[in-house]
Amino acid sequence: MATYAKPLARPKQHAEEEHEENPREHLMHDPLPRGQMNAMVMESMNETNPLFWVITAVLAVIVLFALGYEWSVLILQGQGTAGVTRPDYWGVFLVNTVFWIGISHAGTFISAILRVLKIESRRPFTRAAELMTTFGLVQAGLSIFMHLGRVWLVYWMFPIPNERTIWPDFHSPLMWDLMAITTYLLSSTMYLFLPLIPDLAMARDRTEGGWKKIFYKILALGFRGTEGEWKNLTTAMNIFAFAIIPVMFSVHTIVSWDFAMATRPGWSSTVFGPYFVIGALHSGMAAVAIVLFLLRSTMKHYKYFIRPEHFNTMGMLMLLVSMAWAYFYFNDYIVPWYGGDKWDKLVQEYTEKGPLAYLWFTMLIVNIVIPWATLWNKKWRETPWLLAIVGLLINVGMYIERYLIIPVGVTINRMPFTWRQYYPRIEIPMTIGTFALFLLLYMLASRLIPLIPVWEVQEGQEAHMIRKMGKAEISTLSDME
Amino acid sequence: MSEAITLLAMFEDFEPASKGVEKLHELGLNDDDMNVISGIPIKNTILGRPSAITYVSRIGMLGAGMGVALGIFLIYGIPYLYPLLVGGQPIFPVPQGLIIAFEMTMLGLMGFSFLGMFIDSGFPSYTPKEYTPEISDGKIAILFSCPAQDQKKFEDALKKLGAESVHPVEARQL
Repeated sequence: MATYAKPLARPKQHAEEEHEENPREHLMHDPLPRGQMNAMVMESMNETNPLFWVITAVLAVIVLFALGYEWSVLILQGQGTAGVTRPDYWGVFLVNTVFWIGISHAGTFISAILRVLKIESRRPFTRAAELMTTFGLVQAGLSIFMHLGRVWLVYWMFPIPNERTIWPDFHSPLMWDLMAITTYLLSSTMYLFLPLIPDLAMARDRTEGGWKKIFYKILALGFRGTEGEWKNLTTAMNIFAFAIIPVMFSVHTIVSWDFAMATRPGWSSTVFGPYFVIGALHSGMAAVAIVLFLLRSTMKHYKYFIRPEHFNTMGMLMLLVSMAWAYFYFNDYIVPWYGGDKWDKLVQEYTEKGPLAYLWFTMLIVNIVIPWATLWNKKWRETPWLLAIVGLLINVGMYIERYLIIPVGVTINRMPFTWRQYYPRIEIPMTIGTFALFLLLYMLASRLIPLIPVWEVQEGQEAHMIRKMGKAEISTLSDME
Repeated sequence: MSEAITLLAMFEDFEPASKGVEKLHELGLNDDDMNVISGIPIKNTILGRPSAITYVSRIGMLGAGMGVALGIFLIYGIPYLYPLLVGGQPIFPVPQGLIIAFEMTMLGLMGFSFLGMFIDSGFPSYTPKEYTPEISDGKIAILFSCPAQDQKKFEDALKKLGAESVHPVEARQL
């Protein structure tokens, strides 16, 4: 009896597919004894080569120059040393603020949303992402202070009586910003610390004497791992995982309202909230890919913990977020374009055909074309250096996007006689300073705290099993939480 | 229980540890007389233990309540005390109130959950405790008290079930 079937794969192809799907290559199915994993993480923290200290010293010098010397100049000589003047009072400092808040979103996304959704491949890199949140917010906070100019008057924003007998106006979006960013910084720092406690206890147990022993002993708080301690810790982590997600959304939404609440052409958009949130995730996810590549390349033993499967997960998320970003961007573009308001049209034409049009095209290419052209392919997603390059390009694109929204956005206003091209001046070294400080903090953290949450990896490995179904071996997950 | 001694039984895996807990019950110990210490959180049902009581979520809810009160004070109390009239804007607007109240509620919830974890766990605590670093290397330990004269009986029973070691333990500086 004749049967009809679609052409089948050749045996060689079939073997390749089987190899790709081999679950034993996944971290969760390739367990090592916990003691060995602890030793690997501790060794990666304690073994430092001279190049590490050279890079650290160079970064420290850049930070001292940019955030010490240059900032002093800005404070002493005033905002005139920066490129901001009428109508571009909002310049690169605010671009940096929005950019770094965006970077900070990845930590919460990776750690909280993937934890809530129980996506297991998150386990080895949650801490690396959470650190980005805290360190990114530090840069965002510093950038706001740079923009503030007279930093010593920051207490005017606090709800305390002052010599003007005026209290802060909580009706202002800038005050909402203060509240939201403060909430996010405090909560994300606490959220970073909670799952770190068991790993600090592990580091305490494996450190013999010296200042590091005291450091770990203090921060481990006396944690032993009793039932009550685990219960309290996991309960708190669950509360944080659920509560920090809406806070994350609120922060970048409120940042977008700094712009959208103004009736300014190009800014007054009802879609700005979700558009900014997705933009933050776009840059943040891309930054996580870069960090994972750097950690895997530079930290001893990290190739065991951070594998191609994790880059694959990141690549898929980056592709998904890129599509969402393109959707929101188009939404934000098409409505004013169709509406035909004179001033909105002028902003769009200036962006597309003006002197900075090359930035606009670059943004579209690196934020949409390149991710879509590369990340559809699993093999490419699993190639760490390629994903890091795509991540770097996305971040360049997202920085440009913020630049086009803020200083370029304020250039074109309803008073054409004020139009003026903005050129950053002292902002440039200070921007480099924030990047250097971010890297410096990260490098120092890599020597002080375990960047791999070892207990979470072990917990995941205990929950995973390989089950034989017919001729295939299938990964199964037990509910142990 | 006269002349009690504290023992620490170390297990490699969940299975023998759960049997160890069961055996300790058979030997007359209550759940309150023992504690399981481990390098990862273990669901209480795996070891046949009652769930640990936690007050973290309640303390967190208290914080959320205080947060919302603070938010309402900031957005409505301050303009009431020091009204700032800005061209046609209401002094007591609802939408802005929602934003500030939301942020303060979440800050209160998370801040107090964090504090609750400290309070409920007795952190920070730097006094000597019964512990061995092998626990953070993946071993499961059952810490229990038993009459000193029965020490041998308990040790033998647990070793027979697969305990790697059962030995008296004293509080030590972590």
